[in-house]
Amino acid sequence: MKNTLNHLVLSVSKVNRQHIQMVFVLVSLAMLVLGVGAPDDSIGTSR
Amino acid sequence: MILLVAVLAGFLVGMVWAWMRRQPYEVPDLKHLWLVFLAYLPQFAILYIPGIRQQVSDLWSAILLTVSQVLLLGFAWLNRKLPGMTILLVGAALNFTVMAANGGFMPISPQTASRFLSQQELMDIPTGERIGVKDILLQPEDTRFEFLADRFLPPAWSTYQVAFSLGDVFLAVGVFWLLARQPTGTVYTAKRITT
Repeated sequence: MKNTLNHLVLSVSKVNRQHIQMVFVLVSLAMLVLGVGAPDDSIGTSR
Repeated sequence: MILLVAVLAGFLVGMVWAWMRRQPYEVPDLKHLWLVFLAYLPQFAILYIPGIRQQVSDLWSAILLTVSQVLLLGFAWLNRKLPGMTILLVGAALNFTVMAANGGFMPISPQTASRFLSQQELMDIPTGERIGVKDILLQPEDTRFEFLADRFLPPAWSTYQVAFSLGDVFLAVGVFWLLARQPTGTVYTAKRITT
């Protein structure tokens, strides 16, 4: 149990600021293109 | 879906590019990220969450969609100096133009929609009704800026079918380049170890 906890803490500490920033940027760009884009592959499944 | 593939492809190519140059991957230095969340989340709610989508009228959906797109265009404009963002901005402006000129939704002709729907289903949908997520069924002659509408399709033999616009093409290229391009600078070389 203690080893698992230590492993978890170690894994979390490896997630640094750059990784979090990268995720934010990727999510933001995905939202941007989905927000201004209008390709539609859902016709026939949602009306 | 195709735009998310462009995001993923740009990111992967950028990672490989950085790895080949032996330097860490550098994400684009985007400013005002909060604006994207502010602009997109209401749009996501009214378009993709069924409970909310059914409660919001088409008129209000069009208004909120237009406001959301204006804010996202503002975000792209504020970051226009980043490589690829100008192409993305052009795509966003093209889509905004055709959607704003056609009641806030992306027009699609019955001919294009016939790739997704049977003739019987098409006959049941009156012209001017919303179909799909952001689209509206309109005859080409009733469509303003028809050349900017969802009028392009992949080959018929493709298992993945999607209708997309010229603006979508610019968006895909722009976001790909934004994520793929790595700053040119010093190429880091591995230290030679001598014994």
